[in-house]
Amino acid sequence: MSSHREAPAISQDPVADNADTYAFVSPDDPSTVTIITNYVPLEGPPGGPNFFEFGDDVLYSIYVDNDGDAKAEIEYQFRFRTTLQNEDTFLYNTGPITSLTDPNWNKRQLYSVSVVRSSGRDSDDPREGTVIAKNLACPPCNIGPASTPDYDSLAAAAVHSLPSGETVFAGQRNDGFFVDLGAIFDLGDLRPFQSLHLGGTLANMPGVDPLSSLNIHTIAIKVPIAMLTRDRSTPGDPASAKAVLGIWGGASRRKVQVRDGDTVRQSGPWVQVSRLGNPLFNEVIVPIGDKDRWNALDPINDNQFEKYVNQPELAKLLPALYPGVFPNLAGYAKNRADLHAILLTGIPSGVVPGFQNFTGPHPADMLRLNVAIPPTPAADANPIGLVAGDPAGFPNGRRVFDDVVAIELKAVAGATIPLVDPSFTPDGAAALVTDGTAPGPGRYQDTFPYLGTPHDGYDTPSS
Amino acid sequence: MERLSRRSFVKIAGGAAGAAALAAAPPIARAAVGEEEAQPTHPKTRVPEEPLVAYVRNAERGEVTVTAGTTEHTYHDRALVKRLLRAAGRSGAGRGVG
Repeated sequence: MSSHREAPAISQDPVADNADTYAFVSPDDPSTVTIITNYVPLEGPPGGPNFFEFGDDVLYSIYVDNDGDAKAEIEYQFRFRTTLQNEDTFLYNTGPITSLTDPNWNKRQLYSVSVVRSSGRDSDDPREGTVIAKNLACPPCNIGPASTPDYDSLAAAAVHSLPSGETVFAGQRNDGFFVDLGAIFDLGDLRPFQSLHLGGTLANMPGVDPLSSLNIHTIAIKVPIAMLTRDRSTPGDPASAKAVLGIWGGASRRKVQVRDGDTVRQSGPWVQVSRLGNPLFNEVIVPIGDKDRWNALDPINDNQFEKYVNQPELAKLLPALYPGVFPNLAGYAKNRADLHAILLTGIPSGVVPGFQNFTGPHPADMLRLNVAIPPTPAADANPIGLVAGDPAGFPNGRRVFDDVVAIELKAVAGATIPLVDPSFTPDGAAALVTDGTAPGPGRYQDTFPYLGTPHDGYDTPSS
Repeated sequence: MERLSRRSFVKIAGGAAGAAALAAAPPIARAAVGEEEAQPTHPKTRVPEEPLVAYVRNAERGEVTVTAGTTEHTYHDRALVKRLLRAAGRSGAGRGVG
């Protein structure tokens, strides 16, 4: 979760596993949009001596659909290259790392950024982009106070402003996603409600977030809005179709891999192995037999998975797991037009006053960000997002602190059905259901790339 | 510029510059492709730096997919399939798991 190890094949390939995608109008620079895609889920901070890194043999992509056709008009591509300064040591670093060019730092990654602009692309279309930056430095992993004594300065030095107008960062960060993984996958035994669970034997209690001590690898890009919209404008009217961007991330590998002695080489076209738009879509909506196929396809093909949104398995499980708690949900047999709108088409005008992020009738799993809606000031921002009256939050794109687990649990439980079917009365529990987790301090920061300082290996998990 | 005949293609594909992959080909399929002789060709093609891989997609129909660089093309070439099957047989291909 939200897509950490969500499908059988990609769970065995973490460097290509797109775990979370975020897209929001940058709160400190509202003429720009920030898009974040995270990889290498569940990083234990002490994982040395070969600390976590991106895959040199993976093509990481960020896709933007700006005309509602569920295909990418813009693709940012990121390719990594690992270098060794000293092959005669087993160490990641041979002394403190005080700069991104410090000779003590042995194993480094550099990367290039390319962009492809066209009128509607699939991931299997030709992939040669225009290189807009190369040899950009990633920061090291956060090893500990002896090796990375001033980690924040290293991370800050790895924020690169490109001549073409974008700002990029690629490297380790604190995983901002929070969820009670243990409870969710123990047959949905949500700790705040476990006295009501079919197998519950314990008293209700707050959720436990195992991600609170884990890191992630982040690719973040901040782009002027006018570089993303279909007519190169900065829309000011939230009702305008051109204000809505469809956004998703993806990772591809070459079709053939050849192990030849101690070298591994690739051949053939790039083949998508992972993607992520809306959080939890492949994780919770798509059944296990279709998850790998979903990862290989593009959003334009998501009509194949529409049936799982219309009749989600989780909506049937909740009344079974919590007997007597969701009787109205249990009796609702209609297709879930609310979830279909939230996840597959965007919400059309007239459903939520003053808001829309509709991209057209073609079903496609993408984050949909209305860039004409300004960021909500931090003091007023609500992690429950649009459902709680904060139109700058999920499902209007996704901010790093949005509580997407609680939002989607409430939605699946029926809380959003009245938006499209006023005849339905949600169960009382629908508005309350949550996994009971919240992000602790240090999870985020106010400036790009917005995810907090990664946990260091020396102090974690002991601190 | 090295000339690339089918013979050298197989050699390259199985050597240091690449690999020839053989899909599971049942005995019936092997028999079906056994009659044709290889035809010499002389394409003026530069040997790619990355592995050039031939994948017998369907031996019975003579389908071979060749990947080179970031491209792939599928050909219908029963003679090439025959030579690849013969080469694979010499190297002991077909041993499976279980």
